Amino acid sequence: MQIFFNTILVGLSSGAIYALISLALVLVWRSTRVVNFAAAGQAILSTYIGYEAMTRMHNYWLSLPVAILAGALISALVEAIIMRPLAKRTKGTPVESIAPVIATLGVLGGIRSLAGLIWGNTFLQYTSPLSSKGYMVGHTTIPFSPQNAAIVVGAAVVLLLFAALFKFTRLGLALRAASFQPEISRLSGVRVDRVRTIGWAFAGAAGAVAGALVTPTTYLSPNSLDLLLVSGFVAAVIGGLESLIGAVVGGIVLGVGFAFILQYIGTSVTFSAAFIILLIVLLIRPQGIFGKGSSREA
Amino acid sequence: MKHKSPAVRLLLLVLIGAVLIIGSGYVDQLRSYQGAQAAIFAIAISSIVLLTGYSGQISLGHGALMAVGGYAAVLCQTHLHIPYPFAFLVGTFAGGVAGFLLGIAAARLRGPYLAGTTLALAVGLPSLANQFHILGGEQGLLFDVGNPPASLGSDFTQYRWFFVVTVIAAILVFWLLRNLLSTRYGRRWRALRANPTAAALSGIKVGKAKVLAFTLSSCVAGLAGSLFAMLLGLVAPLAFTLTLSFTLVTGAVLAGVSNLGGSIVGAVVLVAIPELSNTAAAHFGGSDKVTANLPGVITSVLLIATVLFVPNGPKLPRMKFLARTRQ
Repeated sequence: MQIFFNTILVGLSSGAIYALISLALVLVWRSTRVVNFAAAGQAILSTYIGYEAMTRMHNYWLSLPVAILAGALISALVEAIIMRPLAKRTKGTPVESIAPVIATLGVLGGIRSLAGLIWGNTFLQYTSPLSSKGYMVGHTTIPFSPQNAAIVVGAAVVLLLFAALFKFTRLGLALRAASFQPEISRLSGVRVDRVRTIGWAFAGAAGAVAGALVTPTTYLSPNSLDLLLVSGFVAAVIGGLESLIGAVVGGIVLGVGFAFILQYIGTSVTFSAAFIILLIVLLIRPQGIFGKGSSREA
Repeated sequence: MKHKSPAVRLLLLVLIGAVLIIGSGYVDQLRSYQGAQAAIFAIAISSIVLLTGYSGQISLGHGALMAVGGYAAVLCQTHLHIPYPFAFLVGTFAGGVAGFLLGIAAARLRGPYLAGTTLALAVGLPSLANQFHILGGEQGLLFDVGNPPASLGSDFTQYRWFFVVTVIAAILVFWLLRNLLSTRYGRRWRALRANPTAAALSGIKVGKAKVLAFTLSSCVAGLAGSLFAMLLGLVAPLAFTLTLSFTLVTGAVLAGVSNLGGSIVGAVVLVAIPELSNTAAAHFGGSDKVTANLPGVITSVLLIATVLFVPNGPKLPRMKFLARTRQ
């Protein structure tokens, strides 16, 4: 029974990270109908910037806002400089749905190589003052550390902030309107292009939170977040790719699922399991658990 | 544009191959190795061109399909002791079977969903090697095709032999694909890519055509994978990384994604970029960081610039006999 609860705790922490990456993908999908494969790259770059801030200021907590701002800025720049012109150029051509995928892959590869060029391909330590040693319960150490707790709390805070933003602010309304009916929003005075860039910026911020929170539990290298991209995508698809709540539930479900596979089957099947889960969801319930639309013809 | 008959095309390809193979006698081992690498990349990129440039589907998982081909070829050679040219056929077939299964699912997915699903495959499949003992784990399995035939003389190097084998395979693949694309199947795929709805209304069975394209593309990827295993001398999860899958897509995009002849150009560019950037880095006294990462930066910038400025592919000087027919 102890193992069972431990597995759930481990799953909860990794699930929170998947949820953040999935949130980043969903925010971009809602604003521009693009699956941002560069999300992992943007997150790694912002984490490196957070790492630089920490080595200068010697304070993990102060480096967090730096990383988050950097993440938002990087993401907004990617949208404004590459994705927006690309969407305008390829509109109505046969490559319309493929070109953004290729472009975001290019950004992912470019950022990874750039990070390697600046910081090297070595493993760096981006350490947090919180311990990565598990809490003691009775006489046993459980595999859930204060840093894991910070991850779960951080993800929850980000989700609540986004939920409040979309529900209660004019910007949130504009974000929803621009993704739902861009033409009509434009007619009612929403600056759709600008709102889309802001959507990307929020996504970049969510990814940056994931990178800066998860890295202290592992290490920092140019491709240390790549696998999160796959998990984040699977989580987003489970949740329907449209819904913020769906992204979070998808992330947690996947995190706990992975933890059980890891505990009872083995590490090497995890990503094959991700592939199979993805296929099953896409073929049986393509709109995801929380999706409303009936087709995946996007 | 006048149609060349299949026989004329074959003759031209064989001529080019003969020139390359004779020429390989005048270069060192490293160049032979790079030549073989380029030939394998050309085959693998042509599989993406067939899939993306013709049937309009995308795959970020062709590295995994190459792994299927490579592992199948190696397992057959090791356990069934068949001669290695047949192992390549087994690799081709295994790639095709995997591609058929994947294609059935893929035909129902579009654009980013298909990209994400194949991405998960590219990450998941190679790591399976650690789960099953027969697949050799992280170290992988050795693939030894033996020495070049003795009749070629004792100074015929191993890598030159690999170059000869891969060039012959590439010629066969290009000839078959070129002929296939000028049949009704090729026309169906082009129609499908241009406008799926209109294609369906014209009586094309969209699902069937897509699955067929995916299967054939995966056969070609499987062949490329088994040739890659020969060149490396082994199969291991680390040989078929996510980066390999991305590299293939990059090559296809750089070559102009619906231009079969362009795959050769794309492959040569992919092999040449690290070489050129290493020379440049050495010249300017770059550190290890630069040597390891400069090729990636250059490739990514080229990739982004290509989709941004020439989304339908750069207008390469067409190699007429391989060029696609006028639409």
